Amino acid sequence: MIAGHEFLDHTGELELRVWAPTLEALFAEAGRALREIELPAVSPAYPTSRRTVSVRAPDRAALLVEWLNELIFLAERDRWVAAEFGPGVVAESEARFEVTGVEAPAAPSEVKAATFHNLRLQPLDGGWQADVILDV
Amino acid sequence: MSDSIVSAAKRLSAVLYEIPVTARPGMRVPARVFADERLWERLATDRSLEQLVNVATLPGVVGHVLAMPDVHEGYGFPVGGVAAMRREDGVVSPGGVGYDINCGVRLLASELEAAAVQDRIEAVVHDLSRSIPSGPHANRALSLTREELDRVLEQGVPALVERGLATEDDLAHTEAGGALPGADASAVSARAKDRGHDQLGTIGSGNHFVEVQVVDEVFDDAAALAYGLRKGQLAVLIHTGSRGLGHQVCTDYVRELDRVMPRYGITLPDRQLACAPLASPEGQRYLAAMAAAANFAWSNRQAITHAARRVFDRAFGRQGTLRLVYDVAHNIAKLERHQDAETCVHRKGATRAFGPSHPETPAAYRTVGQPVLIPGSMGTASYILAGQDAAYEASFGSCCHGAGRALSRGAAKRSRSGTEVRRELQARGIVVRCSSNEELAEEAPHAYKDVEAVVSVVHQAGLARKVARLRPLGVIKG
Repeated sequence: MIAGHEFLDHTGELELRVWAPTLEALFAEAGRALREIELPAVSPAYPTSRRTVSVRAPDRAALLVEWLNELIFLAERDRWVAAEFGPGVVAESEARFEVTGVEAPAAPSEVKAATFHNLRLQPLDGGWQADVILDV
Repeated sequence: MSDSIVSAAKRLSAVLYEIPVTARPGMRVPARVFADERLWERLATDRSLEQLVNVATLPGVVGHVLAMPDVHEGYGFPVGGVAAMRREDGVVSPGGVGYDINCGVRLLASELEAAAVQDRIEAVVHDLSRSIPSGPHANRALSLTREELDRVLEQGVPALVERGLATEDDLAHTEAGGALPGADASAVSARAKDRGHDQLGTIGSGNHFVEVQVVDEVFDDAAALAYGLRKGQLAVLIHTGSRGLGHQVCTDYVRELDRVMPRYGITLPDRQLACAPLASPEGQRYLAAMAAAANFAWSNRQAITHAARRVFDRAFGRQGTLRLVYDVAHNIAKLERHQDAETCVHRKGATRAFGPSHPETPAAYRTVGQPVLIPGSMGTASYILAGQDAAYEASFGSCCHGAGRALSRGAAKRSRSGTEVRRELQARGIVVRCSSNEELAEEAPHAYKDVEAVVSVVHQAGLARKVARLRPLGVIKG
C-alpha cells in the first residue's frame, strides 16, 4: 500500500480520507493533506525550520484529531505550516514527529479544526485508513 | 439510516414535518423539521436528519429537537439545528454551538439613497476592503495585550465604548447588549488567546463577508419604519464570528468533555456531540469560555463596524453615518426559560427570533419584534425578518440563519470556476473584492439553497415575518 489521501464531498465541511502502510505514514500523510489546504503553493524561497511536534490523547483515533489540531494551531499562531515529516512514532496514546515546516510569508488558509464526527481509523489491506472531517 | 428516518416522518403542515421518538432507539424527544416539500426532499440527500436524530438522544433534551429550513449536514449537530436542555439534568455540548462561536450578522443602515451615490460604490467597497482585514489576515492595527483581550472577553462590546470603538446606542441594538453574562477569561486557554489576540476587527474566510447593500423591497411598512429602513436605502451587512479564538475554545472543550463523559455515564451515537452536565464543573467552565468567545465575536463585529463607519465618513461625511439596526448571533448556547423550565438553548446555524412581548427584544422594537437578519449566500439577496411571539412555543424562539449550503465546496468548484463567478457577479453590477478565486468558487451563489424558499417557510410557519429584502452592491470576502 502506498500512502495517499483524497477529499470526499461533504455538504458543509471537508472530509479527508487518508491511507498508508503504517500508522506513522498515515499521520505524515494527513499532515501533508492539511498543508495542501493551508498552503497550496509552496515556493522553494520560503524559509523552513524543524520542530518536534508531539501530542497525547486517550486513543489512536483521538490522537489523529489531536495531531491535526496541533498542526492547525501552529499554522495559525506561528504562520508555520508543517510540510515534511521526518522520523516519527505513533503509539497508543502519543504521537511524536520531527517536522519541517514552511514559514509562510502570509497567514495560511484557514482551517478551523479537525472534528470527531464520523471519525474512523482502522486497519485496511495490511495498512491503515482514516476518515476525518475538517471544519473549514 | 436517513431512509428509515424519512419513512417514519409525518407531515404536520405545509411547512412542518415530525420524526417520532420511535424512529430510532435512544431518541428522548421527537424531532421537528421546518421545510416545504421541496426542501424536505433535498434533506434525504445528506446526513442532516441522522445528525438531528442523534441530538434527540442527548440527556435532558426537552420538547423537540428542531431543524430550520436551511439545515444541512454539519458535524455533531446539523447546521440549522436547535435543541434545548433542562438546566437541572441536561447537558451542554460544544458541538451544539460549533467552532465559530457566535458567528452572527449585523446590519448597519445609512441615511443615503443608494441611487444617489451609485458612482461612488466601487471606491467605497475598495476602501472597505483595505480597511477591514479579510481571509486569514490579522489586524495589526488593533492587536490587543493579554489584559486588553481579557477585558474584551469578560465585558464584551461595553469594553470597546471607552476606546471609542462603540457607542451606548450600539449596545442597545446588539443581542444581549454585546455581553453574555458569566464570561470568564480564565476559562479560555492561552492557545485560544494566542490565536485571537490580533484578529479583532477581521472578517476571516469561508462564508464570511462584508457587503454594501441596498434595501430593494419592503414587505412590512410598520416594521421597516420601526427598524429605520426604507426602500432604496444604502446599508452594510457584516457576517463573521469569533475567529481563531472561538475555534480553539471549541477544540479545547470538545477534547475535555470527550474525556470526562465516562465519569457522568454519558454514551453518545457521535463523539463530536461530546457533552457534560450543565451543572458539572466542566459544563460550567465551557459555558464561561463560550460566553467569553461570544463576547469576542460581538466585539469583532463592532470593531469592523468602527472601520466601516470611518470609510463611510471619509466618503460621505455626516450623511454617511452608519446606525446599528441590530446584531444577532446564530452559533450560540444561551440560558433561557422555555416551556416552564430553565433551559440551555443550543442554536447552531439558527437565529434567535424573539417576538414583541419578550423582555429581551430591544425597547425600540417592542411593537414589532426583534430583527432577525438572514444573509443570503455571497452576492444574493439578504432578508430582514421580525421575530414573532409564536416562535417562543414553536421553536424555542428560533429561526433560520441563511440560505444553507446545497453543494459541497468541491462540487461548487467543479461546476464553476472562481473567475466565472467573479464575472457573473460583476455582470450583475456587484463590485467584488476577494483575493482568492478558489474561495469565490466555493461560496458561489449556486452552492446554496434558495434563500427566498427558506425565508418563505419561516414566514409561513409564523416564526418570523418578512420585513425587507436587501440586494448586494459590493462584496468583500475572505
